[in-house]
Amino acid sequence: MGFRSNLRATGVALSLLLASGGFAVAKTTIDFYFPVPVQGALSREMSRLVKTFNDSHPDIEVVAAYTGSYDDTRLKAQAAFDSGKPPAVALVSANNVPDFVIGGEIEPIDALLSAHGQDPKTFLDDFWPALHANAKADGKLYAIPYQNSTPLLYINAQAFKDAGLDPDHPPATWAEFVAAAQKLTKRDGDKVVRYGFEMPGIYDYLGWLTQTFAMSNGGQFFNPYNPGEVYYDQPSTRGAVQFIRDLVFKYKVMPEGVVDPSQVSTDFFAGRAAMVMLSTGSLTFIRNGAKFPYQVAFIPRNQRNAAPIGGGSMVIFKKLTPEQREAAWTFVSYMTSSATLGDWSRVTGYFAPRKSSYDLPEMKAFIDQHPDALIALKQLEYGQPWLATYNVVAVRKAIEDEVQAVLSGKKQPAEAVRDAQKNADEIMKPYQEKLVQLGSL
Amino acid sequence: MRARISPATAVLGAIAAGIALLWSTPFLWMLVASFRADAYGALDLASLVPGWPPSLENFRAAWEGGDFPLYYTNTLIVVAGTLGVQLITISLAGYAFARLEFPGRETLFYLFLLQLMIVPPVLIVPNLKMVISLGINDSLLGVMAPYFASAFGTFLMRQTFKSLPRDFEDAAVIDGASLIQVLRYVLLPLARPALAAFAIVSVVAHWNEFLWPLIVINSPTRRTLTLGLASVVGGAEGAADWGLIASATLIVSAPLLVAFVLFERRIVNSFVFSGIK
Amino acid sequence: MGVTADIIAPRASRAPAAHAGERRLRFLKPWALLAPALICLGLFTYWPVASVLVDSLFARRLGDKTAAFVGLGNYIRLLADAKFAAAALNNLLYAMGSVIPSIVLALIFALLLKQSSAFNRAIRAMLFFPTMVPLIAAAALWTFLFLPTLGLIDYYLGRLLPISINWLGDPDSALWAITLVTVWKNAGYYMLFYLAALQSMPEELIEAAILDGAGPWQRFRHVILPLLGPTTVFVGVIAFAQAITTVDHVIVMTHGGPNDATTLLLYYIFQTATEVHDPGKAAAATVITLVVLSAVSTFGIRSLDRRGLYAS
Repeated sequence: MGFRSNLRATGVALSLLLASGGFAVAKTTIDFYFPVPVQGALSREMSRLVKTFNDSHPDIEVVAAYTGSYDDTRLKAQAAFDSGKPPAVALVSANNVPDFVIGGEIEPIDALLSAHGQDPKTFLDDFWPALHANAKADGKLYAIPYQNSTPLLYINAQAFKDAGLDPDHPPATWAEFVAAAQKLTKRDGDKVVRYGFEMPGIYDYLGWLTQTFAMSNGGQFFNPYNPGEVYYDQPSTRGAVQFIRDLVFKYKVMPEGVVDPSQVSTDFFAGRAAMVMLSTGSLTFIRNGAKFPYQVAFIPRNQRNAAPIGGGSMVIFKKLTPEQREAAWTFVSYMTSSATLGDWSRVTGYFAPRKSSYDLPEMKAFIDQHPDALIALKQLEYGQPWLATYNVVAVRKAIEDEVQAVLSGKKQPAEAVRDAQKNADEIMKPYQEKLVQLGSL
Repeated sequence: MRARISPATAVLGAIAAGIALLWSTPFLWMLVASFRADAYGALDLASLVPGWPPSLENFRAAWEGGDFPLYYTNTLIVVAGTLGVQLITISLAGYAFARLEFPGRETLFYLFLLQLMIVPPVLIVPNLKMVISLGINDSLLGVMAPYFASAFGTFLMRQTFKSLPRDFEDAAVIDGASLIQVLRYVLLPLARPALAAFAIVSVVAHWNEFLWPLIVINSPTRRTLTLGLASVVGGAEGAADWGLIASATLIVSAPLLVAFVLFERRIVNSFVFSGIK
Repeated sequence: MGVTADIIAPRASRAPAAHAGERRLRFLKPWALLAPALICLGLFTYWPVASVLVDSLFARRLGDKTAAFVGLGNYIRLLADAKFAAAALNNLLYAMGSVIPSIVLALIFALLLKQSSAFNRAIRAMLFFPTMVPLIAAAALWTFLFLPTLGLIDYYLGRLLPISINWLGDPDSALWAITLVTVWKNAGYYMLFYLAALQSMPEELIEAAILDGAGPWQRFRHVILPLLGPTTVFVGVIAFAQAITTVDHVIVMTHGGPNDATTLLLYYIFQTATEVHDPGKAAAATVITLVVLSAVSTFGIRSLDRRGLYAS
């Protein structure tokens, strides 16, 4: 070994070093807006997922931004789109798809699937059937479900036993439900010490639960194929609103007025509400906080078991450069893979939208340990699409305002649903007129 | 006055103390609840009797739920940056309105004053578009920019300068001082109480601002205290961890409260001597 | 040259050659000084106002590629909208309900705590605390206070009377709950203004009144109160503006509900723009709000002017 061969060796080593990435690779940077509520664990998990992706894809950099609630996220994404600088990917409320499609803001996923060798027709097969309708518009796929929930009945098993009821056989029909609630409601003179039932009455939640009751009562709530049609002033919805009213004023098992979800869970923990209806997304919170034995159950049926889904889906925006769109697709594919969806589900308490996630060993172990999660999953069989129309927030509020009035004793159900239908139709009129123009009615 | 306190004064004092206590109830609850452990299902969540032993569990959860040192830093940047630029714009504009004659002065002043009422949250949609087109969306600068010109400050400076005798300025000008030097060495020092009062109003307003930063800021790294609080408190679908909420609120409110207690006399005095009345 | 020259020959009579240049400089100076403020105002106040005025004349719904000119169409739709009328009424009630009590309380506090004893200063601090914390922090605390049965108000009230009120969830009480939060938050702030006014009040007038034999109530009514006139106007204008432009608590506590009971004008505008996707109507509502705000501020400034609030 002479001096020269040492030099050559050094030269080789140096050039290898330079070639292996001593300088930056050209990166495509894309923005990702997400509304996951930030409690420590959830935001850390999201950051971890994004970081794992960025580390394994050196040519892409995803910049994740927490954009508030679902509504705030929609607002910011639309403002950014209007100004020509949309995020590449956003996690939006599952029922916002028609609004985004009508506004011409998001890409159809079909084309991206085909370009990457997947069959658009069979792509959704791995996803729970209840999720399909909300992911599509105009017969095309526009959103990929990411996290989902349904309403769920949580019951205080201890209270059930005290009242002589069997917590292993929770009420399955409306009639059983009322009977149980009446037995569970405790009074101290005139004052209610424990309500048989409580449910949130705030915007977004109330519409979801009203839809639940309406569909359990046998009817449809809206037309999944025509985002300009809702069925508020129909016997099934009217009956549902009547049932809600009766719970408060006739059977007196539910408090009057609009109840905040924080109050519902606080009352449940304090033993002041024996049964509550909350999202499956609250399962982890209830599990960690309840100091008494509790059970979960399907939403009681009147005509059938039905529960609208809730949650969020991934969408990809228009106005991207081809590189950005590619990067967006790669990111979305990663985030919606069976394994990632499974991870996310276990951390958050949401469902994994893919059936295959539940075949993975970690998921099987998790379900074994948590039978309540299994019941929640089983209800998905009766899952229904979530109200998704043109101007969905305003249309949803049209019924919510009326039911809030009913809950406060200010309106009767018949008048309430009639007014809700009138207001909703008024809001959707521009869209209906457009349909007429396009001759597609 | 070391004289004996008359009964009337004592009664009034007791009334005042009673009102103050009632007024402070939310804060008293905040203090008690932050230190109370494990408050999920307690029926006495609202009790003002402290739990024993006191626990720091809620603070730990709140601290971990967000990045409070970062939020503090961002808020300090926003507050100091806004105030800094405001001091420049209001001094210059206040001087112009107070000392200089020019056509349309009164009309322009009224136009300025419109901004007292027409605050950025009212014009939120066009302001957001403006911020996006200027490229300062999702930045602290975007949060500060709409407030750089302050009608209130300009009004205050104009009034203050007008009330100062011209002699000092005139002497300085005769000595060959430029306008900037006159402002810096003569007028602004004399206007100190008004500047202090303005600074207090500005700092408090921007420390506590919520809606505009909410709209402008997306990145978690640029959040201010109010946004940080909203996200920690926001919680999941239906979560109601009141101990966490109380402790997070305490973390956010404490510095201002402490600062006020320390500087209370100066703050009140500056209001008195600033001529805002 | 320099000082001597100016004393012997004051500016006005300098050589004519310098005049033109000087006049130009004198003309330029105000605009140069005002430029920084004007640029900011232009970008973030005047341009948005113009933009909103223009937008209010166009209608663009979800899915429209372009906006169509509709003249006063948006205004007509706006005035026919029951929700807008409700928001306007809510805001009026809220303004009256928050401005008047805040001012009255502020005045009472200031009178009670006029002397700067250590005790008074402590009390003042406690009354001022609510102003110092962000409204959303206050909203978080008050949400708990208002919680039915388990919340602080119902908890202690429930010991006296067998009632449990759903403060935020009942359309009849929700607006007053929000109003209470506002009064609590601002009374201490307005107290500062009254304190300043009381402490700089000329003692001679009060002494003269005492010499004339006026009792405390008469002194208050005929001397102090009139002298506080400008302060009251000033505080009233600020408070009214606050009532229109601050909706943080509505956003966080009630989202405008229940059943639109707490929807205020600004919240209505926000909703119309972002939830109903009707920017034209939102712009029209903004224009109307701006007109109201401008009217109030002009009235306030004029009346301060007349009372000689600022030296001229």
